[in-house]
Amino acid sequence: MKRNYLVIVVVVVAVVLMAWAGVANYRKRKEEQDRLKQMQAMMMTATPPPSAAGANSGSEPEMMTNPLAGKVAPDFTLKDTTGRKVSLSSYKGKAVVLDFWATWCAPCKIEIPWLEKLRDQYASQGLEVLGVSEDDLDLDDKAKLAKEKQDIADSATKLHINYPVLIDDNETSKPYGGIDALPTTFYIDRNGKVVAATIGLADRDEIEANIQKSLGGQKTVGSETQAQKGQP
Amino acid sequence: MRALIALAILASGIASAQKLPWQTDETPAQQPQSVKFLYPEQVSVAAGKESVVELHFKINPGLHINSHVPREKSFIPTQLIVAEPTGVKIGQVDFPEGSDYSLAFAPNEKLSVYTGEFVVRAHITAQAGEHLLDGVLRYQACDTNACYPPRKAPVAVDIVAR
Repeated sequence: MKRNYLVIVVVVVAVVLMAWAGVANYRKRKEEQDRLKQMQAMMMTATPPPSAAGANSGSEPEMMTNPLAGKVAPDFTLKDTTGRKVSLSSYKGKAVVLDFWATWCAPCKIEIPWLEKLRDQYASQGLEVLGVSEDDLDLDDKAKLAKEKQDIADSATKLHINYPVLIDDNETSKPYGGIDALPTTFYIDRNGKVVAATIGLADRDEIEANIQKSLGGQKTVGSETQAQKGQP
Repeated sequence: MRALIALAILASGIASAQKLPWQTDETPAQQPQSVKFLYPEQVSVAAGKESVVELHFKINPGLHINSHVPREKSFIPTQLIVAEPTGVKIGQVDFPEGSDYSLAFAPNEKLSVYTGEFVVRAHITAQAGEHLLDGVLRYQACDTNACYPPRKAPVAVDIVAR
């Protein structure tokens, strides 16, 4: 009799645990799907192509599908590759290009030299670029962590990056939609508001147009974004 | 009765499984995947002799992953990570050669990648009996304009050695 009770208890526990595992799995998948939907929603509605830009000069770009559009960019404080603390809020009054990238991202390495040149070109007008590395870090292993940080610094040196390269703490990207595709770039105006965003490698002209927008210029160019093709 | 007890043990195992070397908080099954392990689900091999198990994978259309030897040091190679089950020795693992691929903005820079379907050949020696080869394929996928974080596609093969 006692043994039968034990078997029943074991079976009930087993069923509860299996149900719990199923629910946990479902929730995790749902969260992932929601996150991807949010990323996709961040793709900007295309504004007229360059040839039509003149006709649209002065008009506000269409970007209502970007959840951060017109909102203050979420603030953060991160350390750069030299260990210096950098806060986004300290750049208020400047236009900021916030570029999420990784050392393993080939399209990022095409975009970065463009950002370096554009930073030089527009620095006198108040432009700054911040690169945020999304490389995985082993926070439990100090020696490994130090090597991973050094690898990011070495990559930045190799790419001749002339702007601060910050190391994500795994939390910073979340309010920006949980960055999944790289590069993902946000253009922030002098008041700290997001005026444009692109997911994936954008055309150089589009990047420059977005920079001008963030600086307060009126030029608007198609703000189409890429990526997510084939990604479940 | 035995089946019920086995079920309970299995269920409690789900709740308190020990972490394997490749595991993170997010299990491979929970990650959105760009690569899928196709087959085999089961192979029969000669007991005690080296055999080659061909593992077939498929990459989602429009995506590519780095080959096992990317041309740039910072790129993440495709790797097969498996724990040797008792009674099975895993020897050499042969990956196919990568194909050249260039991004439209950098036509002169060649990447070494896999696209579509590819086969990884694992040399194994199994003792007589049934064994579960359980592991992951670690890869990092990109499309023409963007890259996605490294992921792990689950791989499981039932090995029957006679």
